[in-house]
Amino acid sequence: MFALKSSTRSAHRLARSFATVVDSAGYKVASFDANQPTSSVTFLVKGGSRFETKPGVAHALKNFAFKSSAGRSAIGSIREAELYGGVLSASLTREHLALTAEFLRGDEDFFVKLLTEFVQSPKFAPWEWAEYVTPVVEADTAAAAADPATTALELAHTLAFRNGLGASLFAPAHNDITSTDIAAFASSAFSDVAVLGTGIDQTTLSELVKKYSKKAPASSTVSSPASTYFGGETRVAAHGPDTVFIGFGATGSSSHNLAALSAYLSPEPHVKWSEGVSALASQIPEGTSVKPVYLPYSDAALVGFLIQGNDIKTAGSAVVAALKKAASGVSAEEFTRASAKARFAAASSIESREGFVNVLGSKVLATSEPSASAFLKPFDAVTSSSVSQAAASILKSKPTFIAIGDLATIPYADEIGL
Amino acid sequence: MFGPLGFSLAPQIRASRTLSKWFLPFSKWYTDRMGYRKFGLKYDDLLVEEREDVQRALGRLTQEQSYDRAFRMKRSIQSNVLRKELPKEEWLPESQDVRYLKPHVLEVAKEDTERAYWDNLSVQRQK
Repeated sequence: MFALKSSTRSAHRLARSFATVVDSAGYKVASFDANQPTSSVTFLVKGGSRFETKPGVAHALKNFAFKSSAGRSAIGSIREAELYGGVLSASLTREHLALTAEFLRGDEDFFVKLLTEFVQSPKFAPWEWAEYVTPVVEADTAAAAADPATTALELAHTLAFRNGLGASLFAPAHNDITSTDIAAFASSAFSDVAVLGTGIDQTTLSELVKKYSKKAPASSTVSSPASTYFGGETRVAAHGPDTVFIGFGATGSSSHNLAALSAYLSPEPHVKWSEGVSALASQIPEGTSVKPVYLPYSDAALVGFLIQGNDIKTAGSAVVAALKKAASGVSAEEFTRASAKARFAAASSIESREGFVNVLGSKVLATSEPSASAFLKPFDAVTSSSVSQAAASILKSKPTFIAIGDLATIPYADEIGL
Repeated sequence: MFGPLGFSLAPQIRASRTLSKWFLPFSKWYTDRMGYRKFGLKYDDLLVEEREDVQRALGRLTQEQSYDRAFRMKRSIQSNVLRKELPKEEWLPESQDVRYLKPHVLEVAKEDTERAYWDNLSVQRQK
C-alpha cells in the first residue's frame, strides 16, 4: 500500500517536473529528475557548424571545451573532475554544441561551477590552440575522412544544402583558424545558453547557475541562412567498402511524414540476426547493407539510404524502386507498422540523456516547453496517404547521390532509376 | 640557475623606493656595459634556450616576434664574425629592450608546477 502510494507520488512529481524552463540569470534552465544514481548537466548553445563564421571554427570550439578559463587551467579541470569521478564531454551537431558533465549525485556544485566558468570566461590561449587542440582537430578530421560512411554524409549535406547546414562538422585538414576566430565565434555562440539537467532538481540547478554566473551573456548572437534544398551528384575515388548515399532533402520544420517514410522503407530487422520484414529487405543482396538515414533539423531534413557493400547496383535499384512504390501508395497494414516503428524510435530517442539534450534542448533554447507528449503528438496526424505524398514530393526534387569507393563499379544515379 | 626563473632580489629592490633610487643608475650602467644592445640584441635573446620549458615558451611567441628574434640573432652572429659592433644607429635603444619571452617562460613554469601538483596530490576522504 505504502509502496504503491510512494510510487504514484513520485510519478506525479516526475510528470510535473519534466523539464520546465526557468530563466536564471540569462540562462534557460530545464531539468528532470528520474531518480537516477548519477546526474548530468549540459550547457547547450547554438554553436553548431551551420552557424560558423569560418570553416571548421565550430569543430575547433568543440575541441577547445574545458581548456583553461579565468578560474582554472585545462589540467586543473580534468584532474579535479577525475577526483570527483565525473566525465566531461563535448559534442557537436550541425546546429548545437553541447558541453556535458556527468557526475555522481551531490557533486553538482563543482561541475556547474566548472561549466559556468568555461562558458563565461574561456581564455582561448593561442598556444593551447597550437599545442593541445590542433592535433585533436586534425585527428578527428583524418578519422572522419577515413570512414566512407561519414564522408558520404558530410558530402551529402554539402550538396543538399550548400551553405548553412551544408557546412561540414569537421574542420578542413589544412585550415587557417586562429584562436581569435574561435574566441569571436564562442562569444557569440555563448550568448544564448540552455542549461539542461538530468538527475538533478530544477531549483537546485537554477540556483547554482545563478550563484556562479557572474555576468550576463553577451548580446551578439549567431545567425545562419534559412536552409534551401539543392541536391546533386558527386563521385569520390577511395579505398574501403564501396559506399553510396541516396537521399532527398525537405525544407520546413515538420518532417514527421519523412520519419514515418524512413521507418516504412527501413530494411533493418526488429530482431537481431534476422532479416527485416519490409518489402525492401528481401531484395537486398547478401553482403550489401542498406541503412536508412533520417536527419531532422530545425528548418530542414535529410532523408535517404546509406548503401555499403559489393552489389551496390542491385541494392540501389531496389531502394529506388521501393521509394517509387511508396510514392504510389502505402498499404494500411504496412503503414501501421511503420508508424509504430517511427513513433517508438522518436519516443526512445528522448529517453536517453543524449536524446533529451539533442531533441528537447532546442525547445529549451527557444524557451518553449520541452514536453514529451508535444514532441510525439504530430505523429497522430501522419496517415498512409500523407506518407505516400511525402514520398512523391521528395521524388520530384533533385536527388542527392554520393558515390565513394571503386568508381569503375559503382553505378551512376540514372543507372539505378533515379 | 640563470634567467627569469633564477633567484633574484629585483622585486624587493623595486618595491622599496630608496633601494631602487640607489640601484637603478647602477643597473642601467651595468646593463649598458653588458654590451648586448650594441649587437642589436634584447635581454631575452640571451636566455638559455636549451631547456624544454624555454623551448615551449619560444613556440608561444607570435609569428612576428619569432621572425624578429631570428633576425636579431642572425645580425648579431654576423657582427660577431666581423669582430665589430653594429653601427651606432642600429644599437638597440633602451626603450625597445622589453622582456618579450619572460612572461611565456613564467607561464610554462606555472603550468609545469601545476602538473607536478596534480601528479603528486594526495587525496583525503572528507570527514
